[in-house]
Amino acid sequence: MAVIEIDGLTKRYGDLVAVEDLTLSVEMGEVFGFLGPNGAGKTTTLRTLLGFQSPTEGAVSVLGYDTAVESERLDALTRVGYLPANPQFDAGATGREILDLHEALKGGSRRDRMLDLFDPPLDRKVREYSTGNVQKLGVVQAFMHDPEVVILDEPTAGLDPLLQERFNDFLADERDRGRTILFSSHVLSEVRRVCDRVGVIRDGRLVTVEGVRDLLDRSGKLVRLRADGDVPERAFDLPGVTDLTRRNVDGATDFSFTFAGDVDELVDALDAQSLRELDVEEAPLEDVFLSFYGETDA
Amino acid sequence: MLELTAYGARRRVKGAIALAVAISLFSLLYVGFFPSLASNVDLQQYVDSLPSVFVEAFGLRAFGTIEGYLATELYHFAWVILFGVYLAYSAAGLLASDVESGRIDVLLSLPVPRRRLVAEKYLALAPGILLVNVVVGAVTWAGTRVIGFPVAISDVIAVHALSLPYLFTCAGIGLACSVVASRASIAQRAAMGLTFGLFLVESLVTGTDYAWAGAIAPSRYYDPTAILVDGQYDLAGAAILTAAAVLLVAASGYYFARRDVN
Repeated sequence: MAVIEIDGLTKRYGDLVAVEDLTLSVEMGEVFGFLGPNGAGKTTTLRTLLGFQSPTEGAVSVLGYDTAVESERLDALTRVGYLPANPQFDAGATGREILDLHEALKGGSRRDRMLDLFDPPLDRKVREYSTGNVQKLGVVQAFMHDPEVVILDEPTAGLDPLLQERFNDFLADERDRGRTILFSSHVLSEVRRVCDRVGVIRDGRLVTVEGVRDLLDRSGKLVRLRADGDVPERAFDLPGVTDLTRRNVDGATDFSFTFAGDVDELVDALDAQSLRELDVEEAPLEDVFLSFYGETDA
Repeated sequence: MLELTAYGARRRVKGAIALAVAISLFSLLYVGFFPSLASNVDLQQYVDSLPSVFVEAFGLRAFGTIEGYLATELYHFAWVILFGVYLAYSAAGLLASDVESGRIDVLLSLPVPRRRLVAEKYLALAPGILLVNVVVGAVTWAGTRVIGFPVAISDVIAVHALSLPYLFTCAGIGLACSVVASRASIAQRAAMGLTFGLFLVESLVTGTDYAWAGAIAPSRYYDPTAILVDGQYDLAGAAILTAAAVLLVAASGYYFARRDVN
């Protein structure tokens, strides 16, 4: 059963088309990654889905409720948690005062559990919070009423790596508890750990929806290395190598390429060289877009 | 119900206390001046020399009595103008500042109808308004007794009680600006301009052929001089202001529930 449905959504601000004819559904118990560069229309889509603004065209629903209609939306919102991108709270209020207000209005059965995991300084005023602490407060309020559906807009922005890890583990647990999670990100490595499926949005259009495994296989790794001596280009003439550049640097050779082939073959090719430096990292999302979707759009 | 009101009111306690103290000091300052002013200056002659529009605007008719003096210095000036404009300004920040700062996203994700959000935010101003009225009323009444020019307690109570519909209407004007604008500074400027502008219009047209134009100004329906000097309580005016405040809040809620918040 689809818990979140977006059907032919278009949102225009005057002449500006923020989202165009976007159709997407998220199944119950799924963690869905909504991926796209900044300014692609992710936040617009999520805010429209939550009824903060009305669709120019198309329909949005959560848990079967039409969220563009307030009377229905309110039924949905009691069962939905939301963390906005860059969440903001009353600077003059303490974290505790804010959570008390939220608890009074939507419940807080998991408040203590959330505070065990993410612990903003509750008795201090939000004005004194670091970005990370504001984000923690945002995460706590999003989950404190044990919502069935959680919508997260760039949730790990502002969290340090250790907390990001904890957050990802937490999301995996939530999925195992049958919760449905839709979260947006512009970082591929972030969605790969926790998402089942990924929708990629660019310039307001949904470019593809696929399993996260498939997307990663297609996007490949960015490999950069420095090897001793004058190494010829054919040393890395492997299936799955693209965008290869080669440069001689005082007695060594620098290579950089995107690799989406068999890892064993890459290791063998690397093993044949005397390496001074080696960097293997996830291909930046922008590169993924350019290499796979660059021609289909714009 | 009223969780948002309680939360908002708690956030405003300090400001309300500070305002109550400030206006009370202002009141005591004027009250303290009155005895020497009354014995050394012919106030009525001074008033007679002023343009009639000025006399009307500040209710100067009976400036030589403690009642007329307070009606002008405290209630026309500090209450009708300063407090009214201040409330319009405060109310103008209620939603526009949340929209501008992005706080509104978390608020709108709460299962609360937008109309209720608007109404509860507005009501959060009420405890502060009441507090300032009670404190300033009590201080002013006590002050007049200390200087030996006591004002009837019933008139002090009336001048404050009947000011409530006026003050809530000013706050309603601010609220209306707040739901329309997406930036607090714009809402606040519009609210202050509108509230003060309406007061000016009413003052300028009174006694002219265009007096009807002053009917849209809240200050038309609350006259501290009439209450304190003549003991005339304009209950119809208070009813009109109450209706206006209710209408402004309802219209603000109606509009905010339908607008795109972005």
